[in-house]
Amino acid sequence: MHTYIVTVTAADRVGIVHAVTGAISERGGNIKELSQTVLRGYFTIILAVEFDGPRDPKAIREAVATRGERFDLNVAVLPDEGRHVDPVPGGDKFILTVLGEDKPGNIHRIAGSLSRRGVNIVDLHARTEGPRFSLVMEAFLPPDLKPAELRAELEQFGAELGLEAYVQHEDIFLATNEPRPVRVGSARNPEGSDVVVPH
Amino acid sequence: MYRTEDVLATLGMVRHYKLDVRTVTMGIDLHSCASPDVATLCDRVRHRLIHYAGRLREVCQEVQGRYGIPIVNRRIAVSPIASVAAGHDAEGLLAVARAMDATAAEVGVDLIGGFTAQVQKGWTESEKRLIEALPEVLSTTQRVCSSVNVGTTAAGINMDAIALLGRILKDTAERTRSHDGFGCAKLVIFGNAPTDNPFMAGAFHGAGEPDCVINIGVSGPGVVKAAVEDLVKSAAVRPTLGEIAEEIKSTAFRVTRVGELIGREVAARLGVAFGIVDLSLAPTPQVGDSVGEILQAMGVERLGAPGSTAALALLNDAVKKGGSFASSSVGGLSGAFVAVSEDAALAAAVACGDLTLAKLEAMTAVCSVGLDMIAVPGDTDPETLAALIADEVAIGVINHKTTAVRVIPVPGKAAGERAVFGGLFGEMDILPIHAAGGSTAFVRHGGRIPAPLSSLRN
Repeated sequence: MHTYIVTVTAADRVGIVHAVTGAISERGGNIKELSQTVLRGYFTIILAVEFDGPRDPKAIREAVATRGERFDLNVAVLPDEGRHVDPVPGGDKFILTVLGEDKPGNIHRIAGSLSRRGVNIVDLHARTEGPRFSLVMEAFLPPDLKPAELRAELEQFGAELGLEAYVQHEDIFLATNEPRPVRVGSARNPEGSDVVVPH
Repeated sequence: MYRTEDVLATLGMVRHYKLDVRTVTMGIDLHSCASPDVATLCDRVRHRLIHYAGRLREVCQEVQGRYGIPIVNRRIAVSPIASVAAGHDAEGLLAVARAMDATAAEVGVDLIGGFTAQVQKGWTESEKRLIEALPEVLSTTQRVCSSVNVGTTAAGINMDAIALLGRILKDTAERTRSHDGFGCAKLVIFGNAPTDNPFMAGAFHGAGEPDCVINIGVSGPGVVKAAVEDLVKSAAVRPTLGEIAEEIKSTAFRVTRVGELIGREVAARLGVAFGIVDLSLAPTPQVGDSVGEILQAMGVERLGAPGSTAALALLNDAVKKGGSFASSSVGGLSGAFVAVSEDAALAAAVACGDLTLAKLEAMTAVCSVGLDMIAVPGDTDPETLAALIADEVAIGVINHKTTAVRVIPVPGKAAGERAVFGGLFGEMDILPIHAAGGSTAFVRHGGRIPAPLSSLRN
C-alpha cells in the first residue's frame, strides 16, 4: 500500500469535501485519516489517502484541483514516507493553556520554549478576542521532563509577557468532561504509550 | 482535539473558583501495633506510620504537578486509638498521642485523626480513659484530632458519655484559653459516624477497611457558587429551583471527578488501595469559598431567614446526586458543611443576628454534619453543652443520618464577643444559648436513650 498526504485550502464553500473526496474515490484511493477545520472563513483539510500502488503526486493534485475547480482550491500532495512518526518515544499527552494579553510573537516564543524542551505539539488552537489571547494545545512531554519544571519555565516566561500558563495532564479534562469511568494513566491508550502509531 | 471551551471550563474552576483537592487522607490500620508495653506500642505506631506515609508528601507533590490541581492538605487517619491502646492508663494514652503527633510532623502531614472512641451503646474502661485524657491530649499536641461516636440509630444514645463530654469540652477549652478554647476544635462528637470519613477533625480509619487506603476530600463551594451565579445572571428567564439543582448536580460531577482521578493516581503511585471520595462543600474563611454564599446566590440573601433550610436541603441533595453519578466510590460525609467560624458568610450572618443557634440546628437536619465550629459563651455549664450535643445527635439518630457537634465554649468571653481561632478555622461572634441551664436534670439522669423504632417512620 502507498499512502499520500493531501492538503487542501480554500475560501469556505458548501461542497468542497464532496469534491475532494470524489476525486480521490475516482482514482481508487481510500481515506485512512482526515481532519478538517474552518478558520475565519477559510477551509483547510488534510487527508491520508491509501492507494494499492504508487501514484504520481502531481496527478492526484490535478485531479483534486480539477474536480473542485469552482472552489479555486490550493492543493498539495506529498508521499507519506513515515516522516510523521512521533520523534518523542513514550511520554504523556498534556494540555497546555496560555491566557493573557495579545501581543505579536506570543505563539512563536511559546513554541520556541517548548521546542527547546523537546515538547512535541500535536494540536494547537489559538485565538484573540479583543485584547485577550488564549491558546490551548495538546503536546507530548518527553518522559524525563517533569510537568512542574515545564510549568515553572512557562510561568516565568509568561510573567514577562503578561501571560498565564498552565500544564495539565489530559486525564483531568477527560475526567471532568466525559462520563466514562475514571482511569489512571492515559485513558486514550491503556497500554501507557501515547505515541502515534506509524502507518 | 479537546474543545477549547471544555478546557477553559475545567481550568476556570481552578483559576477563578478555588477548586482544590482539600485533603488527601491516608487511612492506616494500627491494630497490629498493640502491645502491653507503652514504649513498644509507640515505636510500632511510629514505624507503621512512616512505612505507609513516608512518601505521601512527595507523591502528592508529583500528582499535583501532573494535573495542576492544588492538594491543600495531607492527613492521616488511624484506627480508633481506644482499641489499639486498650488497657493503657492515661499516661500511656498520652504517650501514644505524642508519638502520633511527632510522626505526623515527621512525614509532613498537618493533622492526624483517630484518637477516637466509639461508645454509642456503652463504654469499656479503656474508652472512658481515652475520653478523660482528651483535655491533656488536645491541649498539648499540635496535630492530633479526636472523635467520639456517642449514638447510632441501631444502638441509641449514650447519655453518660455525652455528660462526660460536656465536662471534657469545658476542661479542654480552659486549657487552651489563650487561643479562645481552640483545643475543642480538634474534637468531633458524632452520631452515626461513617466508617470511612476522611474529613478532619472527625477522621478515623474504621473497621472493614484495609491496612492502608487513600481517601480524598474534595471541596468546591466556590465552584458551585459560581455555577449558580452564572445560571441566575445569564438566564433570560429566572431559572427554577429545579434548574438550579441540575446546575449544582453537573458541577458536583466535575468536582468529584477531579477527586477520584487524583485519589486513584496517589493510591496507585503509593501501591495502596483507593478508598472513597468525600465530596463535601467545606468552606474556608476566604471570601468566595463559602457554603453560605451559595445559598445567597440561590436567593436567600439573609442567611438564617425562612427558606434557608430548604435551600440547604436542595444544595445537599444535588451535591450527592452529582457525586454519586461521577463515582461509585463516594462516601464519608459528602454534602454541605455549615462550619460557622470557617465560613465568612455564615459568620457574618451570626454577627448581624440573622443566624441563630436554633436555626443552625434546624439546618443541620438536612446538611452533612451538624453544629460545626460554633463558639458559645465560656460560662456555659457542662450539662448545657451536653444537652446541646444530645439534641444534635438525636437529630441524626432518629433520621438515620450522620450528625456531629464541634462546639467551643470560649473561656472568659460572652455572647456577642469575638472568638478568633485563626487560619482555616476562622473567627465568629459567640452565639448565645437560649435557656441555658434549663435541662440540667434531664442530662443528669444519664443512661442510654433507647434505639429508635425503624418501622412506623414519620
